Amino acid sequence: MIRKVFAKSAFFLRIIFVVGLFLILIIGGFTYRHIYNLTDSTKQVVSTYKVNVELEKVISYLKDAENGHRNYILTKDTTYLEPYLSAREKVNESFAELKEIANHGENQEENLKVLSKYIDALFTNFSETSTFISGDETLSEAFKTNFFEEKIIMDSIRQKVNEMIDFENSLLKKHQEQYQSNLKFTPLFLYLVLLITLVLIIISYYKINVDFKNIRLINSQLLIFKEAAVQLEIIGKHGNWVWHIDKEKYTFSDNLYRVLGEKPGSFVPTFENFISFVHPEDKEKFAKDVEDMMKNEDLPFIYYRIVQKDGTIKHIKGYGKLLINNEGEKRIVGNITDISDEIERFLEIEERNLELEKNNAELSEFNYVASHDLQEPLRKIQTFISRLEEKEAKNLSSFGSQYLERIKVSATRMRLLIDDLLQFSRTNKPDKEFVLTNLNELLENAKQDVTETILEKKAIITNDVLPTVLVIPFQVHQLFLNLLSNSLKYSKTAEAPVIKIEYSLINSKDDHNLINVSKSNYHKITFSDNGIGFEQQYAEQIFELFNRLHNKQEYSGTGVGLSICKKIIDNHNGVITAQGEPQVGSIFKIYLPE
Amino acid sequence: MPNDYINIILADDDEDDRLFFTDAFDELKMNTKVSTFNDGVELMAYLNSDDAILPNVLFLDLNMPLKNGIECLNEIKANNKMSDIAIAIYSTSASEEDIEETFVLGANIYIKKPSSFKQLKKVLSEVVSMNWQYHTNGLNKDNFLMRL
Repeated sequence: MIRKVFAKSAFFLRIIFVVGLFLILIIGGFTYRHIYNLTDSTKQVVSTYKVNVELEKVISYLKDAENGHRNYILTKDTTYLEPYLSAREKVNESFAELKEIANHGENQEENLKVLSKYIDALFTNFSETSTFISGDETLSEAFKTNFFEEKIIMDSIRQKVNEMIDFENSLLKKHQEQYQSNLKFTPLFLYLVLLITLVLIIISYYKINVDFKNIRLINSQLLIFKEAAVQLEIIGKHGNWVWHIDKEKYTFSDNLYRVLGEKPGSFVPTFENFISFVHPEDKEKFAKDVEDMMKNEDLPFIYYRIVQKDGTIKHIKGYGKLLINNEGEKRIVGNITDISDEIERFLEIEERNLELEKNNAELSEFNYVASHDLQEPLRKIQTFISRLEEKEAKNLSSFGSQYLERIKVSATRMRLLIDDLLQFSRTNKPDKEFVLTNLNELLENAKQDVTETILEKKAIITNDVLPTVLVIPFQVHQLFLNLLSNSLKYSKTAEAPVIKIEYSLINSKDDHNLINVSKSNYHKITFSDNGIGFEQQYAEQIFELFNRLHNKQEYSGTGVGLSICKKIIDNHNGVITAQGEPQVGSIFKIYLPE
Repeated sequence: MPNDYINIILADDDEDDRLFFTDAFDELKMNTKVSTFNDGVELMAYLNSDDAILPNVLFLDLNMPLKNGIECLNEIKANNKMSDIAIAIYSTSASEEDIEETFVLGANIYIKKPSSFKQLKKVLSEVVSMNWQYHTNGLNKDNFLMRL
């Protein structure tokens, strides 16, 4: 998010910079042109004045020549011819100037040529007049004509020069006007451009200021993160290192030194210095891992041990990842973690688990073997009793028969206990397969198993339709059988047993018996009877092994049946509860996860 | 005449059990000839001998020293000459594992040794007079264990 904002801002600033640069260039260009124009105009003005001056000069030389010439005519003194003689040269000089400067259009050039012609004509005339003077024909007709011609040519020259000066002046005026109009918009334009540039600079300043504020904010957050990271490193026993690939340099965090049992910064962060801490047995593998890291620019999870200076061995887990920053600089950022505590705890738990498993297996084995091996002598005792009864009954006294009967009852009870115990230990074995089973079938089978008792006690059993659930079939069969047997066994003597089996699918939130369970939906099956019931305070106890609420002369239970029920329900991650009221009945609720 | 009586063999290491077994047949008076062996080694030595008379029904205890019932069952079923003998497993326990294993190996019925002599006689007479052909055709895991 922040990066995006800055990227956008940088883009914006770049545009402002380019636009600003462009505008300044425009201003420069305009100023240059403006000054150029100014110089140009000045040159024009200077040139025009120079032309005018030269032209005036030409007129003045010609006048001097004319004057000198006339004086000569009057006095016939050749000294008056001085200006006339030098005039020709001076006019030529002025013409040379005029030729260079008078690039003011074809018109002026043409005029200049015409002027030149007139001047040539004038001087030809002068020299002709002079010959008349030397021949003393001063007042001859030819002389007069010549003299008159002189005047006419001089007038033409005057007129031409005036024409040219006028032209030059009009040219100057035109230039001036054009320059004025140019000058009129330029300042406005420049001012506008300057204004825009100023606005852009202000926007840039504002933008940079905002960015700067953001950067400051982010920097302060970064500082907090950094501090938090440092604290986390200490708490979590982490150490951080960075390998600057391009510079081939390492940096280690303070806590990395602490993990190694050293003071922060106590040695130069190099690979050689680090590996000197690695456990000698792990050195080779560690060096190879680091070599691979340098080659692949990646470090997967690695595990090794280090030996601190005081000899303490620590288990270390390491990890690193390549990081390329905006400038394309490559670094691998990695962490090491002291996992010694974890490993110690893990080993401890492992050991305890093994012990527990062994104990469990032994117990299970013992339970099974005991019940199993006990059966054989007992069976034989029972068989011998039956033989004795059959064959020797008539030889026994009434006491003998009575004792034999007692022995028989005890043996039968012992068989019951062993059978139940065997059943219980079988329920203990966890590796049973869960099969999607129709519970109605299991209930029917269980009913079949107790048909005799049902008939004998005239019991009435009603049940709802049960669902199909993922269960260990033989165990749930046993569960149903045990619950039915229980209800039939603890029935009232005067009343026929009535057993009601009800079913509903419920949500765990809707039943106070389902607290701290993992699933949300449960199959609830309720077995309620009208038997002798029990005091509610024993509701928990009755599920304990060999726990009986009645004496065995009255009721023949072994105290194992309901323990088996509990175990089976536990195996299914379900819940079983008992609820009783003396002489009213008992209710057993079982909950199986959907 | 060998065919006049039903030839029965019991292999069981327990002396009392052998006694109950023979006594029961004595009392049943079913025209049977009962021979007993003390363990699997003795049993297999007899069955493998040339002059052995193969029994109609072989009662096999599982838990025997030297060679147990499962090993005997394996050997018998692997031998063409003996594979047709009807085999009744005769054991103190009726654990799921034992029932499963012997059923898979091809035993014909599984009897849990009863705890009264009267029941023993009843079971033995039923087994001996059983129609093996019929029983074996309809054999499945549910009726494999003989219900008392």
